[in-house]
Amino acid sequence: MKTLLNYSYYPGCSLHASASEYDLSTRELFNALGIGLTEIPDWFCCGATPAHNVDELLSLSLCAKNLELADKVEGDMAVACASCFSRLKTTQHVLTENEVKRKQVETAINAPVKLDSSVKHLLEILAKDLGLERLATAANKPLAGLKVACYYGCLLTRPTDVPNLDCTEAPTIMERVIEAVGAETVAWTHRLECCGANFTLSRPGVVIQLTNAILESAKAAGADCIMVGCPLCHGNLDIRQKEIEGVYNADYNMPVFYLTQLVGLSVGLGAEKLGLDAMIVNPMPLLKEKGLL
Amino acid sequence: MKKKKMVISQETMDVDFVRKVEALADTSVRRCFQCGKCSAGCPMATFMEHPPNRVVRLLQLGQWRRVLEGRSIWYCASCETCSTRCPNKVQLASIMDALRKLSWDAEGPSKESYVQLANKLFLQNIRTYGRQYEMRLAAVFNVKSGQFLKDLMLGPKLLAKGKLKMFHSKNKNLSEIEKIFTRIEEMRKKGEAL
Repeated sequence: MKTLLNYSYYPGCSLHASASEYDLSTRELFNALGIGLTEIPDWFCCGATPAHNVDELLSLSLCAKNLELADKVEGDMAVACASCFSRLKTTQHVLTENEVKRKQVETAINAPVKLDSSVKHLLEILAKDLGLERLATAANKPLAGLKVACYYGCLLTRPTDVPNLDCTEAPTIMERVIEAVGAETVAWTHRLECCGANFTLSRPGVVIQLTNAILESAKAAGADCIMVGCPLCHGNLDIRQKEIEGVYNADYNMPVFYLTQLVGLSVGLGAEKLGLDAMIVNPMPLLKEKGLL
Repeated sequence: MKKKKMVISQETMDVDFVRKVEALADTSVRRCFQCGKCSAGCPMATFMEHPPNRVVRLLQLGQWRRVLEGRSIWYCASCETCSTRCPNKVQLASIMDALRKLSWDAEGPSKESYVQLANKLFLQNIRTYGRQYEMRLAAVFNVKSGQFLKDLMLGPKLLAKGKLKMFHSKNKNLSEIEKIFTRIEEMRKKGEAL
């Protein structure tokens, strides 16, 4: 028997607010699967896009500080947000390649940078560390008949050599995970296209245009729902969906789940443990129709 | 839009600037051979006056002022598609970061103020609170950008769903974050970092 898995958990800012259901379902799912999750005490914001946009040194330093804090907790680092994941991996990549920047960052945080510590997205933990076979065994309520459009967005896979989660242009890790627990997946065109991410604050018009194309593509492919692993993608696809339907005179009614919510359903967790009531597009009619709740 | 004529001469070509961009981005601007793959895959190209490959070409020709004056760099979503697909391994997303930083530091002439305001408030929040508080960020953004009614209808819905928190758990080691900001400022003052 494999030793019990334990991770130092970096939720990121969104999971403490707009994506609280992602946080809740992650904790509940990992608990149900017997995987240990210890939140890193007093973690900081990773800086996300705004920091690297205008101040790379600050962005690298914030992430290096978080890597240092994570190192004090036992286990590899488990990251839920695609953007935090990308920033932490980018920091390790850049500072391994560039000694000048590494020295600057070490001065900024007044400590050596943890370049080799293992940073993993939740998908990686489910697909690789736990393994698809064990995941399939744990799924006592398989998601039979549910057609899922797996949406990767930008930062889970790009750029080459940085996240190393899966192939940059044709990843399958999300499909493999959700098929392992009994769902069907659809082939669609926009699974790697950008949703507009943090333009939701400064230029929502951009997000409405880009996200509409994603919803349209998922609908055309016959998907019942979309699955994501990023709180920004979720915010744009779920929170702004009604507004988009209004602008484009469309009717999507497409529930957008976090991967931990769907996998959680398959291992028998109830709606209240997965925060399904926090979703803006109500998933209950769909789940009842498919006999999954 | 009326196009300004571009004059390329020794006087208008500033290659030192390009070297600075290359140092910051740790990649080559000169290696680009204008295949256009970056612009073909760019989700934001439709919002830019100079698509990504033209931004690189303008840099190669030392015409960086044209780039910084426009909004292209502020409309890049950092999706990394360009860097992933470039056949010459030009890290264009990193070049965009470098250009934004240089424009930001110089309080440059870009017309795109909303994105810059959002960035500024985001960084201020990190320095003050250690973490991002979304509700505060959105509220202050609306006030400072004069769009008091922006997304007003979303607010109550998000509050009801528990997606906007009035109160947050605080970091106990906030002084650490201030030290990081201060040390970086000191390094820059001494010329030890860009």
